Amino acid sequence: MELIDQFVVTMLRSSTPIILAAVAGLFAIRAGVFHLGMEGLMLAGAFTAVAVGTVAGSVWIGLAAAIVVCLVLSVLYWILIDKFRADTVIAGLGLTALCVGGTAFLMQAIFNQRGSMQSSVRLPRPVSGVNDGLLAFVSELSVMTWVLPILVVLGWILLTRSHLGLQIAAVGEYPYGAEASGVNQSRVRLHAILITGVGCALAGAQLSVGDLSAFTENMTNGRGFIALAAMLFGARSPLYTALAGLFFGFADAFGILIQIRADGSIPRQFVLMAPFVITIVIVALSSSIGRRRRRF
Amino acid sequence: MNRVAANLLRFGVPVLASFLVCGLFFSLAGYDVWEVTLGILEGAVTGPGSFRQSLRWSIPMVLIALGFMISFRTGEFNIGGQGQLMLGGLGAVAVALIVPGPQLLILPLAILTGICAGALWSAIAGLLKLRYGADEVITTLMLNFIAVLFIQWVTVGPLRDEAVRGQTASTKRVDPSLRLTGGDGISPSMLVLVALAILVAWLIAERTPFGLKSRLVGANPVAAMWQGVPVKRIRLWAYLLAGGFAGLAGALEVLGPNGRLVTDATPTIGFTAIVVAIVGMSNVPGIVLAALLFGGLQASILFLPIVSDLPSSGLRIVEGLIAAIVTARFFHLRWRKKQAASVSE
Repeated sequence: MELIDQFVVTMLRSSTPIILAAVAGLFAIRAGVFHLGMEGLMLAGAFTAVAVGTVAGSVWIGLAAAIVVCLVLSVLYWILIDKFRADTVIAGLGLTALCVGGTAFLMQAIFNQRGSMQSSVRLPRPVSGVNDGLLAFVSELSVMTWVLPILVVLGWILLTRSHLGLQIAAVGEYPYGAEASGVNQSRVRLHAILITGVGCALAGAQLSVGDLSAFTENMTNGRGFIALAAMLFGARSPLYTALAGLFFGFADAFGILIQIRADGSIPRQFVLMAPFVITIVIVALSSSIGRRRRRF
Repeated sequence: MNRVAANLLRFGVPVLASFLVCGLFFSLAGYDVWEVTLGILEGAVTGPGSFRQSLRWSIPMVLIALGFMISFRTGEFNIGGQGQLMLGGLGAVAVALIVPGPQLLILPLAILTGICAGALWSAIAGLLKLRYGADEVITTLMLNFIAVLFIQWVTVGPLRDEAVRGQTASTKRVDPSLRLTGGDGISPSMLVLVALAILVAWLIAERTPFGLKSRLVGANPVAAMWQGVPVKRIRLWAYLLAGGFAGLAGALEVLGPNGRLVTDATPTIGFTAIVVAIVGMSNVPGIVLAALLFGGLQASILFLPIVSDLPSSGLRIVEGLIAAIVTARFFHLRWRKKQAASVSE
């Protein structure tokens, strides 16, 4: 029973940031931006949440600051790729590298900490009464996991049922047509990238102040890229993407379960490899099944 | 000549601007920028032995960047240089440690195995792209993560050096007779090898039917197909070559400065090499120049903590900023059109 509890907790915990980032990333990818900066934005969000949250003594201020920082970075990214026509992939990778270096730098420059720093604040875990029984695990979930379904549905409504969502799809599918029918594609792309930025901030904050209460250098460790894979796997639909994110969480938890069960006879590295291998398989599968779309 | 000047402006300005912006940022953060600048120069050029260090770091960069250039011209965005480098190192170290024989035979064999290992690692992404249409940006990125973990496993598992009790796991050192250089990574034989590799890359890219066809495929695959160019085969070769060059870089790291396979020895070289290829405008002389620049930056990243209190991650910011802005067109020079023009020449 404890094992199942642990399994469900791990699955929900590790899929929460991926789902958050992936559903938010759908806005960018549907607007035709293959956003490789998401990994960096998540990291920036994670760091800001811990840094500002610790200094201000409130996790909510930290969360708000994380969102602001990610919005600013997203605007810069948008200016680069939209106004100055930078290559989306290279600029995105650059943004990620900038955030990897920047968070490490600021952590050392401001807090004089190397490698990792503790956070004095943590996102609340709203359900705490349940201490035993089948549902004991729910008390270990942060508020982010609880509002996640609402955010996913919100993303779904925004993407498929709102004016903005349709404009985003139009800009991504056929920018010239969108432009011809009076859509300001530059502005639509900005809105899409901003929404992605907010999602990445939340995802990063969930990693650092939701799941743990610490920030570690490069703690996202590829989750932003895995989120991209979840979008491709989920056929760019919000609900399927959320399911794909859940699947990655499942794979994560399954790997840990195997490791516990096998008593270390399977090397740790191979378990850690699993999400990346699964990502490759899934990207290959989903692109051979689905209609292939070009990146540019 | 005019084109050269335009390109220098196009790529020199973002690099300079990145340094200036970061310098401003550091001075606002309360660091002594003058000291940092001197530190960078000392670490890259003026200090004792520092130019050798710069050269040492530019070697893996130039090799990976040349491989990236070939696949980039073919229209394939192979950013798996890091993983291919590590696999190349593994191939070389495995041969050097396990296969007995005379140096004259084993050394080329180790290098060749490294090249093949890198090429095969890259071919995974290539085959997935060509057969299933799997996006190579994602697959090569994921293969990088897998390679890091795989090398970690190799160095703590099958090829582990029991004698080492330190923080970083590593394999045994390869026999000194199989090493191309000492710890500083520069020796005549190494430089000759690298010069040869650069020459080969230039020949492949500029003086062979493959080079021409690959640019055709990159510019317009449909047109290339109707011209009778075997598009898929060209693309697969682009992956193999990109991986091969990165694998060579890995092999030279192991047989040169490192002398063994170490986990996390060069965690960001693959990314820097992509920046090198872009800043070098995807042509061979440009890449060599850019590699020297970024090799110097890498050397000073390692040197700077000695003379300045600026965290070395600060220079990583410079690198990221350069990557973020280098493809931006601030002057409205026509980059794509120029590419098209250079194909039709």
